[in-house]
Amino acid sequence: MQTNLSTNPKQGRSVNDAFASHFAKSMFLSILALGILTFIGTRMFTHIDLNLYGYMIGTIVFIGGFFYRFIAWGERPPTKIIIKKGLKQLFRKSTPKTAAEHLVTYKFIWHRGIYRWLQHFLIGGGCILSCFVTFPLVFGWMYFTMDDNGYYTVVGLGMNLMKVSADGIIAFFFYNALNITAVMVITGVCMALYRRLKNMQARAEQKFMYDFLPLYMLLFISVTGLLLTFMNVVLHGWGQPVMSLIHQFSVIVTLIYLPFGKLAHIPFRPMSVFARNYREHYSEEAEKECKVCGSHFVSVEQSQDVIDVLGLNNMEFFKKEGFHLAELCLPCRRKYRIAQFSGIATHEIKVKEANQNAKG
Amino acid sequence: MKKRLYLELENCIGCRSCLAACTQCGGHEERNRNYVYDVNPLVNRQTMPLMCLHCVNPACARSCPAQAIQIHETGAVLSALVEKCIGCQNCTIACPYGIPKFDTEQNLMYKCDLCIDRSKDGIPPMCASVCPSNTLQWLTDEEIEAKQKQFNLDNGKWVTSMPYLEGETNVRVNLPGILQGVTKLF
Repeated sequence: MQTNLSTNPKQGRSVNDAFASHFAKSMFLSILALGILTFIGTRMFTHIDLNLYGYMIGTIVFIGGFFYRFIAWGERPPTKIIIKKGLKQLFRKSTPKTAAEHLVTYKFIWHRGIYRWLQHFLIGGGCILSCFVTFPLVFGWMYFTMDDNGYYTVVGLGMNLMKVSADGIIAFFFYNALNITAVMVITGVCMALYRRLKNMQARAEQKFMYDFLPLYMLLFISVTGLLLTFMNVVLHGWGQPVMSLIHQFSVIVTLIYLPFGKLAHIPFRPMSVFARNYREHYSEEAEKECKVCGSHFVSVEQSQDVIDVLGLNNMEFFKKEGFHLAELCLPCRRKYRIAQFSGIATHEIKVKEANQNAKG
Repeated sequence: MKKRLYLELENCIGCRSCLAACTQCGGHEERNRNYVYDVNPLVNRQTMPLMCLHCVNPACARSCPAQAIQIHETGAVLSALVEKCIGCQNCTIACPYGIPKFDTEQNLMYKCDLCIDRSKDGIPPMCASVCPSNTLQWLTDEEIEAKQKQFNLDNGKWVTSMPYLEGETNVRVNLPGILQGVTKLF
């Protein structure tokens, strides 16, 4: 038993590094935070909207799934490095700009195509705005009281924020926020579905489970949500109780599915801000010189990180010439490969690579 | 019938048809993802193509923090999933052959996907479809074996891929006999 322990390769890793420990810790802290916020927001649990308790349970199940997926993902060596070093650079001066471009305006998608940007902006904006409305209502962080007749008091985290006329324009947007976002999401999803039916490349690659299912689920949520309003306003509430259960079901199923399918890119996307900060910070610190031609191509830190990650995967690209392939700039690395085939040291010949873009 | 891309490097005449064809593949958005290199540019006109060799254990996918680089059931190592790629460029550093390209504006990596919309249905990738000199071919394993017999080289010089690469690849590369000082018998 003793010898067994001493030969354990993972010796030195305490139980606190285990997946289950990370999971339990994250779950505990999140639910504690939710509980405290709800305690404050609902004025000591006196203003809970029990009509929405299904969403509350659904959210907690979602958090479980989210941590399961996210922590397992964070165990991968390259992911761990980006998260760790990205967090350290979180307070760079450029962070707000990068975050706005990556998470709010989706500038990089604009460059991939304006149609795709518009559909993504409608779906993404609609979903995120809906979340900002729904979750505060579910956990009682925001609710409405009517002290004076005809005037709603908006209560945010237990504080009276403002008084709005019940017939006013602001109140109109409060009542219809989810209707507006539903129309945004439906428009965006229809654009996405149209693209998937028409675009030949999309048709070649798409799969029902990965590409269509999330779109159908968002459509299901938005349509049932809009039907709720329709039943209230036009049908005077006929069928509304049943439809509200169907809507609740659609939202909870989507929440549980979210961390495991295409929609998982929503909570993971802030990683791109980490990656940008990581690259910018370490490039300012020290640039790596190509071991053959001497040109700068990446930061010293990232080159070393990639070498380490490859090492963990039992990939050692150390060459007899005395460099690791990750220490060569890309053209030199390609020429080095040609050199292996031909026996002529192409990478040592100081001639720029010729015509690599087929433009004649 | 599983076919693979097979490169016979010494046949290359440097016409760059493969680059032009690559730009025309659906989803490539008119940007080529392969390369053609002069072997000894100040001395002779020999060229060789270089494209993703679709490693069995790809370094690019191993180094990707976002798991954006997926491996298709045909063995093709796909271009990064657009919604997952976070733009860290680890893959470009990790690839031992320097293949992945990166678009800073789109914050997206792109690389040869073996024209997956074609090759998953057994249609050769664009580059192999157009190559006029049979440098790039789309062959079954049996056909590659038959080539070995046809070349009739009993000196052990007929080699595909290893040990001139860093690991097992799905693309087979044949070494250029001429430049190795061996006469190739057509």
